[in-house]
Amino acid sequence: MAPLEAPVEKWTGKIRELKLGSGGRKTITVGGGTTLPFVKFEGAQPHRPAIAIEVQDKEPTDWSEFLVSAWGDALKNPGAWAKKAAEFGADLLYIRLASAHPEASNTGAAQAKKSASEVLSAVDLPVIFVGPDVAEKDNEVLVAVSDVAKGQRVGLGNCVEKNYKTIAATCMADGHVAIAKTPIEINLAKQLNILLSDVGLSPDSILMDPTTGALGYGLEYTYSVMERLRLAALMGDGMTSMPMICTAGEESWRQKESKATLDVPQAWGDNQERSLIWENVTAISLLAAGADILVLRHPKTVVTVKAALDKSF
Amino acid sequence: MKVIGESIHVIAPAVRTAIEGRDKAFVQNMAKRQAQKGAYALDLNIGPQKKTGVEVMDWMVRTVQEVVDLPLSLDTTNAAAIESGLKASKKMAIINSTDATDRLKVLMPMAAQYDAHIIALTYGGTALPTSADARVELVVEKILPAAMEAGIPSDRLFLDPLVLTVNGNQDQAMQTVEAVRLFKQIAEPAPLTTCGLSNISNSCPTEIRPLMNEVFLIMMLGAGLDAPIADVFDAELMRIPRVLESRDDSTPVNKVYLGIYDAYQSGEKYDPSGADMSDQRVRDIVKTVQVLEGKNLYAHSYLKL
Repeated sequence: MAPLEAPVEKWTGKIRELKLGSGGRKTITVGGGTTLPFVKFEGAQPHRPAIAIEVQDKEPTDWSEFLVSAWGDALKNPGAWAKKAAEFGADLLYIRLASAHPEASNTGAAQAKKSASEVLSAVDLPVIFVGPDVAEKDNEVLVAVSDVAKGQRVGLGNCVEKNYKTIAATCMADGHVAIAKTPIEINLAKQLNILLSDVGLSPDSILMDPTTGALGYGLEYTYSVMERLRLAALMGDGMTSMPMICTAGEESWRQKESKATLDVPQAWGDNQERSLIWENVTAISLLAAGADILVLRHPKTVVTVKAALDKSF
Repeated sequence: MKVIGESIHVIAPAVRTAIEGRDKAFVQNMAKRQAQKGAYALDLNIGPQKKTGVEVMDWMVRTVQEVVDLPLSLDTTNAAAIESGLKASKKMAIINSTDATDRLKVLMPMAAQYDAHIIALTYGGTALPTSADARVELVVEKILPAAMEAGIPSDRLFLDPLVLTVNGNQDQAMQTVEAVRLFKQIAEPAPLTTCGLSNISNSCPTEIRPLMNEVFLIMMLGAGLDAPIADVFDAELMRIPRVLESRDDSTPVNKVYLGIYDAYQSGEKYDPSGADMSDQRVRDIVKTVQVLEGKNLYAHSYLKL
């Protein structure tokens, strides 16, 4: 019997390459694929997807006990947390300036500068900073961070359709990368990229966050949107060809399957094991969908996902 | 092309207020203005009107007939209200609409009894149709048999492929165009075809909606669309059939209109290589064709690219 011949698509487009880190900081490049993820017989995927670990600038109050015990006292200090994340194998860090949220500590530019400086001096990994997702506060703290991180090509987010101009201008002025976040929808993802490009931000300085649905909470919808974004890009659409970042950790640890420890049906099995499975499955599925950067929370998930990449990439 | 004027529609707040207050002057003015713009028929969309539909439709038909002499399209989901409109209509009315569900059992016999046209949407009651073939299947399996059983000749039927929004259902634009082409070949004599044209641009920014509607109209006309339900106050839209009929290629825009129409009439995609891209409007039209043909992913600002 003749060996089966793999069906090979010819693509005209390519995923953009995006570099994070500069000015003495380690650099990482993602994207650059000329085919769908892991379809190696068809084209190139020159850069291995990167693993970011989420760090916050204030101790989380609503995290699962399994996350709290994994990180210990490091949760109390962003510099210490960042260092530990580097030890746990992060390729880059994703720093959420959570303290700036009006319903948290409502901190401002000064605290953001302090937290950012602590993280930047604690590790030499590439870094992404995101605000509390409140427009006014995001603009305030991200502009402050941008100044502290000038020349280090960090990521700044989240740019959303209603609030992108200030962050885009800041990225342009200080040489940073904008994280463009849209609700899970392909047309809106493209639209925000057009708007960002229209104000003058280079398409090579945009990282798309298509919004993640966790396992059981829209994962298949996210998968489909990401897949269609990749297909459009490979067919030559330059406004969907930015690399993608997915907050797999945040989304999976929000769900009751990860959080619940009381009155859990016996059939659900061991609580910690189930929580880790939730983050693992969400993360690895998103790799297959085309994630270039995964943001994770539990150190064990980092190990598992990296092992999966070792085998498949 | 015959346009069924869409402007008496309960979604418009002024129309809703006029219906609630039985404001004859408002409704008659809207009817006259649409007639002046060349409407072939007027759609009277009163909404579901579960309680007062019978009375509202009767009032609406009588009110409009006092000032215009056009066929009226009785647009409501309330079958009793449709019947009261049919009773009041002087001309052959249009039932708007049945779909491919059990509504057929009520509305097809009603169309036969009152000697009316009937619009049949290719919607099977569960999921939205996903392809031209799925739309044709509903016509062949549900709509045509029901029409035959009621004794309605196929050319008194208006088939409506159910236009979906380009924003979110982009792949369906070409499927509806192809459905119209197939509808015209599905029975002898050929059924009539209609559609809610402006559905294509629902949820698009207001400033691009007319352009999207106009370009989609040309594609649909090429495929064999007879009578869209559309905005007769869109002057450019109403100019399009005149350009197509007179073959007036005196401007770059007209040339593109004719190019799109001819391509779609021969069942092909539009080749923009001959278009005068120095003209801004021509560029916008070409970009819109490419979005509707699925060659370029839709985004609200696609004209900026």
